[in-house]
Amino acid sequence: MNHTVLETVGLTRSFGGLVAVNDINLKVEAGSVFGFLGPNGAGKTTTIRMLLGLIKPDRGRVMLFGEDLSSHRLSILGRVGALVETPSLYNHLTGFENMEVTRRLLGCSKENIGNALEIVKLTDAAHRLVREYSLGMRQRLGLALALLNRPEILILDEPTNGLDPAGIREMRALIKQLPDQSGITVFLSSHLLSEVEQLASHVGIIHQGKMLFQGSLAELHAQQHERLVLGVDRPSVAAEVLTKQGWRVHQEENSRLAVDAHGQKDAASINALLVREGLEVFYLSQQQPTLEETFFKMTAEPVAGGKP
Amino acid sequence: MKQLLAALSSESLKLKRTLALWMVFIAPFIVILLQFFILYDRAKFFAGRDVWGVLMYGVTSIWAIFMLPLFITLETALLSGLEHSGQSWKHLFAQPVPRWSVYAAKLLTVMGMILVSTVVLVLGEMGAGKLLSVLRPELRFHESPNLTMMARMAIMVYLASWILLAFHTWVSMRWKSFALAAGVGVAGTFFAVFASGARIGKFYPWLFPVNAVSTSPERMKLAILLGIIGGAIIAVAGCWNVVRRDVE
Repeated sequence: MNHTVLETVGLTRSFGGLVAVNDINLKVEAGSVFGFLGPNGAGKTTTIRMLLGLIKPDRGRVMLFGEDLSSHRLSILGRVGALVETPSLYNHLTGFENMEVTRRLLGCSKENIGNALEIVKLTDAAHRLVREYSLGMRQRLGLALALLNRPEILILDEPTNGLDPAGIREMRALIKQLPDQSGITVFLSSHLLSEVEQLASHVGIIHQGKMLFQGSLAELHAQQHERLVLGVDRPSVAAEVLTKQGWRVHQEENSRLAVDAHGQKDAASINALLVREGLEVFYLSQQQPTLEETFFKMTAEPVAGGKP
Repeated sequence: MKQLLAALSSESLKLKRTLALWMVFIAPFIVILLQFFILYDRAKFFAGRDVWGVLMYGVTSIWAIFMLPLFITLETALLSGLEHSGQSWKHLFAQPVPRWSVYAAKLLTVMGMILVSTVVLVLGEMGAGKLLSVLRPELRFHESPNLTMMARMAIMVYLASWILLAFHTWVSMRWKSFALAAGVGVAGTFFAVFASGARIGKFYPWLFPVNAVSTSPERMKLAILLGIIGGAIIAVAGCWNVVRRDVE
């Protein structure tokens, strides 16, 4: 079942003169975990708010389950669960009462409360006041609220933000099991690549309101260029020799050279070439840049054409 | 309609353990207590007069000009404050229920709470009279009160206050700041003291509750009419404004 659950077409929204979200085209397939990745302030929360109809786009539209959000808001929201930024909780009520407040609004069965609390492992703490909850427990209760209506898609905005390492691990484990256990599609935003790498099957990278990449994790890996790092006695001569032969050469620190090259065969022929030219090769290493480096590189530069 | 009832039921649960709920009983009680002590302390002065009338007019005027407007300010700010401080608007407005029902439920909840306070006020007047008939027999409170009159006055004050209810519900939902909501309410009540003497006073919303029990029938009718109609208009306009805004 590879149908699209969530899709945005040319989604654009600006605040004042600033374009927060610029022509975003998302496509999220059923049963996937989509990681919406970008640095803080990239436009993730604004996009998510538009996905939930909390704010209106200036241009473009949001399609969920094949229907337009602007014309089918209520029927769509009935199939969506969301946790936007910090969870919306009433401190003076217990965890259970917090669930009950939303349950009464939705009119769903009381059983749903028990089930949702069980999933997030808050059954034992259900009758304690939320005021006494730890940050991690609050976040889990927020997740339980999102799960209350048995949604088909879960939209989570920075679900581990502000949690301690134990809380982060718990939250990630919970999110990870959802697609397998309940068949829920998950759309989550994060500014942490490692988080998306651990949780997501698909990635969208947003930077300064623009989409830089969208695809599976494997496709993101394939985008990276392998490099051969060389240590040679006369680097400038070596660079000249290599460039003449058509290789792309970059100067590295410690007077090392980096060459865009793939696999052992390239490495061997580059080595042979340099030796033939009478150069001494004392270091040779094939390097695969980490996703972190790729992500950092993508989001370190300003995006062209940021005008509305 | 079903959605509105669901939203009301949801609202009522939120009141659990809140100051707002306690205030429904505390606010009228304070007014009763004040008038009780005035009569208790100056029993000699009031002996032989229409003591039920003194109690009723005393309570109603303090309630209508001072306590009720401030009480409405406080209750609306506290109720909306629950959502602002819990950052709940984004959650509520992302639920599959019409946004107007969330707004309407908020407004109706406060209206219901003020109505309960109004009933508590009338019951309190009777209780205070009964207690004074024992503690201060010379006041002759044992004669039965004009209950119909008492209830009618309280209800008229309540109806005239709808405009303030609608206005403060909007202010407290539209802006996050408790200080702003409280400031508007206090300023409105404060200026009422000066406006009461002015000819324009009959059009000043913060005076509608006290005008509703005015001895001038024209002033009374105008206050109740404008209180209800103005309340309805502001309720619709306020709801329209809030549900169309970007949700923070």
